[in-house]
Amino acid sequence: MNELVLTRHQGAPGLTTLAGYEKVGGYQALRRAIAMGPEAIAAEVKASGLRGRGGAAFPTATKWGFLPKDSFPRYLCVNADESEPGCFKDRVLMEEYPHQLLEGVLISAFALKVNHAFIYIRGEYRSQRELLERAVGEARRAGYVGRNILGSGWDCELLVHGGAGAYICGEETALLDSLEGRRGQPRLKPPFPAVKGLYGQPTVVNNVETLSNLPYIVSEGGAKYAALGTEASPGTRLFCVSGHVERPGTFEVPMGRTTFRDLLEMAGGVWRGRQMKAMQPGGGSMQILGPQHLDLPLDFKAVADAGSSLGAGALVIMDDSTCLVNVAMRLVDFYRHESCGKCVPCREGTYFESELMHRLEAGIASRAELANLADICANMDGRCFCPLGDTATWFVMSAYRMFPEEFESHCGAGSCPVRESVAVAV
Amino acid sequence: MAQNAATELVTVSVDDRTVQVPPGTLVWDACEKAGVFVPVYCAHKKLEPVAVCRMCLVEVEGTPKLQPACATRVAPNMVIRTATEQVRKFRDGNLEFLLINHPLDCPVCDRGGECDLQDFTQRYGPGRTRTSITEKVHFDKAIPLSDKIYLDQERCILCWRCVRYYEEITGEREIVLQERGVHTVVDTFERRPLQSQFQGNLPEICPVGALTHAQYRFRARPWDLRRTASVCSHCSYGCNLFVDAREDKVARYASNDNPDVDDSWLCDRGRYSFPEMNRGGRVATPEARVGGVRQPVSPKEAVERACGGLLRVLSEHGPRSIGLIGSARMTNEEAFALQWLARDVIKTPNLDHRLEPLETLDPGDFELSIAEIEECDQVLVLGDAPEAAAPVLTLRLFKAAHKRGRQVRRLPVDSDPNPLAKQLPSSGRIGLVAHERDLAAARRLQARLTTGARRVQLLSILDQVNDRGCQDLGLLPNWLPGYRRATELGLGTREMLQAAASGKLRALVLIDPSEELEAEPGFREAVAAVELLIVLAPWPGVASAEADVILPGRTLVEKAGTVTNTEGRVQRLRPAVEPKLAFPPDLRSIVELGEGLGGELGVQPLAGPVFRRLAEVLPAYRGTQGGLRANWEVQR
Amino acid sequence: MELPPPTGAETRWVTEAAAGSGRLSDATLTRIREMEARYPSARSAVLPALWAVQDELGYLPPWTLEVVAQELKLLPGDVEAVATFYSMYFNHRPGRHVVQVCRNVSCGLRGSDDLLAHLQAELHLDEEGNSPDGAFTIEGTVECLGACGGAPMMQVDRFSYENLTPQSALEVLEKVRVQTDGSGGAR
Repeated sequence: MNELVLTRHQGAPGLTTLAGYEKVGGYQALRRAIAMGPEAIAAEVKASGLRGRGGAAFPTATKWGFLPKDSFPRYLCVNADESEPGCFKDRVLMEEYPHQLLEGVLISAFALKVNHAFIYIRGEYRSQRELLERAVGEARRAGYVGRNILGSGWDCELLVHGGAGAYICGEETALLDSLEGRRGQPRLKPPFPAVKGLYGQPTVVNNVETLSNLPYIVSEGGAKYAALGTEASPGTRLFCVSGHVERPGTFEVPMGRTTFRDLLEMAGGVWRGRQMKAMQPGGGSMQILGPQHLDLPLDFKAVADAGSSLGAGALVIMDDSTCLVNVAMRLVDFYRHESCGKCVPCREGTYFESELMHRLEAGIASRAELANLADICANMDGRCFCPLGDTATWFVMSAYRMFPEEFESHCGAGSCPVRESVAVAV
Repeated sequence: MAQNAATELVTVSVDDRTVQVPPGTLVWDACEKAGVFVPVYCAHKKLEPVAVCRMCLVEVEGTPKLQPACATRVAPNMVIRTATEQVRKFRDGNLEFLLINHPLDCPVCDRGGECDLQDFTQRYGPGRTRTSITEKVHFDKAIPLSDKIYLDQERCILCWRCVRYYEEITGEREIVLQERGVHTVVDTFERRPLQSQFQGNLPEICPVGALTHAQYRFRARPWDLRRTASVCSHCSYGCNLFVDAREDKVARYASNDNPDVDDSWLCDRGRYSFPEMNRGGRVATPEARVGGVRQPVSPKEAVERACGGLLRVLSEHGPRSIGLIGSARMTNEEAFALQWLARDVIKTPNLDHRLEPLETLDPGDFELSIAEIEECDQVLVLGDAPEAAAPVLTLRLFKAAHKRGRQVRRLPVDSDPNPLAKQLPSSGRIGLVAHERDLAAARRLQARLTTGARRVQLLSILDQVNDRGCQDLGLLPNWLPGYRRATELGLGTREMLQAAASGKLRALVLIDPSEELEAEPGFREAVAAVELLIVLAPWPGVASAEADVILPGRTLVEKAGTVTNTEGRVQRLRPAVEPKLAFPPDLRSIVELGEGLGGELGVQPLAGPVFRRLAEVLPAYRGTQGGLRANWEVQR
Repeated sequence: MELPPPTGAETRWVTEAAAGSGRLSDATLTRIREMEARYPSARSAVLPALWAVQDELGYLPPWTLEVVAQELKLLPGDVEAVATFYSMYFNHRPGRHVVQVCRNVSCGLRGSDDLLAHLQAELHLDEEGNSPDGAFTIEGTVECLGACGGAPMMQVDRFSYENLTPQSALEVLEKVRVQTDGSGGAR
């Protein structure tokens, strides 16, 4: 059995309560962190090799290091706006281990000399928000939040802030604008949040999973954490496996030492005894991979070399009955709905793309229209203000490249040929 | 020094042309300096970059993605390319994106012919359509946002300029973004009407036909218009503008950025004032009383009859029986000619151009320039009269406060200077802005607040377009050109009216009498009482009805010459429309009156030569007619 | 399958009178002021304030945006700009229960389209997804709701129901209706 980090207390009774969490050693890491001091914490984080778990995989210690010295106040924002299609790990971490997250947030806030931290949680996670608010209340009463925490002389406020339905708020600068009470639209960079973030002050934005690792890193040491994974992909990660598998769910596995096939097996394999047709390794934004990639390790570079990304850690499996045109249409619709409307290529491009995909899926698009698809996507990818519009093209283009015949067979077919053939086979 | 400045510059290359620009320059500006045009929609010189339209994406060597020229800063030896295949292809594609949901109603769009969407599509866009999408996203059209502005949400390309204008320039936030994604629109809260007094700038900053002027709706195409650079005549602030004329009528005013004055903004009062210039019923031909009956005469005969009358009054009653009242709507050249006519030819001190008398005059009353408001450590504004008189001042004060971080304080006119003296920074530059009617209070404050280390500079705001010029030029009873005290004191306007009514003043010469003057109690009696009344005016009024000689006058959009704004800046007027009938310009009429009386100005009665003559008498004006402030240091 | 507890005061029981009264309850106003005090900048309280209003009225009639603006020293346009950006704020009265049927990739792969179609047909939803009795507004265009492990799923108000079939989804809604509205039976 592998050593676990995020889910190491799984099954312990009453873990969502302060008492239950303290019973498994909860908040000891915070005490230890305060004793260590900010520099020592940062050093452990650096040693852990921890990289952001929100999708961009940016080294956490480096991100922290961007904060200008002597510029206060500073803010810490926890990105709990999880909304990448196929991704539900942060929800699990908040529902099952809320105090682990709070402890991680407090350790980070102390390390960053922050007196005001925010957890920005998406609006749809209303019950999770209330659960976190209860947890913050407990932590406050126990002296972990508020004034003079654990007698250290350090004050820290912690506020859970609910969004209201906007995928784009997962983008860190859009999150900051939303938290400031504005439309959640990404900001022009530079300046970067580390220099000019929330209320124009230096700000760190970290993902829920990223910070949930902190109690372990502080109590067990960064080196031990790093060694759980490989040198290039240190630590463990909570992967979400969903789609056409027998037992969808989250699985914490060591990075680099585990393969997609291992994950698929943990999830009970492809459902209904079928074969896998394709998979999305990192959530809705990421490029498609095929069965030939199943033995790739969960390693940043290996997946990048294959033309995709581990993204937010969501593996979506599609069996051989799947129509990829339909899946692509679904995702493109999602981006159209979630485009914030700020820049032209994303706002109009996702609309154009989605209208075209609907025609294709319905079998009424011509071959000439399909030929335009790649061109439209090329005019979006890398041209948009933020990654949303860029990534709105990645799945559809990678699927088209991998299954050109499937896309072409839709042209002028009058309906979805894949659905028809599956129906005939059954 | 020069070498220092040179080493501070950054060298970049734009399409193989090398330019040197200061560090921190935007790539967009560097391209402009290199003479390379980069299309933009969202970017605007007066607004912060947002990089949302993506139209200006260019290649920067060493960066894999195309970069927005409007928001990217230059780096040393940056290599910028704007004409590569990659850039060309994206521009084409981006325009296609903009057009898929555009209504393409150009035939009925007021912006047709001067629309950036049309122009860039023609220049960089797809010459074909390849969309099979049959249904566009529909929005509301022709929404009256006020009595001045229409909004068409379908034409809008969401550059956000209007939203940012309201946020960054006026701070009123009347137009906001609503909804999201492809359904995003700009609109007001619950469609409530706009209240701003600066709405007219919206259609100008809108790059397409989404925001249009109600007043210009379906009026003209740009190629029907003749554009002339001029100055707004509505107040003393002197905003630069273009007069766009169609045939012999003004079709609209458009802003003409002068960073020192208007910073490219006009107020609605000024911008939409042009219909008064098109008003019919003009004084079209000279008339004179011949044998007791007034009848049309030739311009020559009108001047001769006027001079004959004046000579008679002169010989019978002497020069002091004649009074001349000009107006603040006269150009500097006309004002100069009129004071020459009065002082040098007729030799009367009875000369004025305004109703309210002026006690003391000093160029120090407008030492602070408009642009310098932004440089002051703190700005004090006395009451709300300055902004009421010159609305565009509001935007300069907002800019000083919000863009430049200066403290702008509004004080009651009767503020106690003593606590204020303690609150102000002990050193530095303090600006003090006051309406001329509160000048005495302002001077008292200035005197009390000034210390060795604290300099307090005044900017007084006048009401009328060329009041400052008329004051500079001594169109006043007791002041000669250049703020020299007259030795012989004359009558001011009100005194002249009284003297006329009581028979002491026998002849009056009125140039373009204002509505205010004509409404003054006793005016009607005064003009009826004088023996000789000579009136030069564009429109008939109370005075011209009584006039013995009437000379047709021109409006400020028909004149050549200069006017001086409230901060002492001498700016050029150019004739933008020709009056329908042939009659001499006002300046020539005034000079001819003087020459008919035996005077000699010594130069041709044209704006240029008269200005040169004027600058000899008034050295402060030398070399200023290109838009510089009069230099009163020279005069001292 | 666990059903939600009755949601009491926060059930979307909106009376015409309350929404048209032009006045928010003292409790809501107090909540808005409390939120305002908790942030370094009052404007940050816009989203929480709008939630407070929607919890009371079920949606955000225009006058409430003015109230929020006034409380937070903003212009009504500032608040409307925000309120219209986020998909969970309603500018019209929704059904008493808002149902979000996730149809993103993972749910789509496991039959969410059929599930939605079944609900639409059985509950006689109109084009906006409203059931004729005003009990439900069912939205089929929502973000991934982050419960892909239990796909297909739907969220009813704040509670999620996972591993659904078209039939079980309908049963959930019928139970919600009976439990909170006190009257049963689909029409």
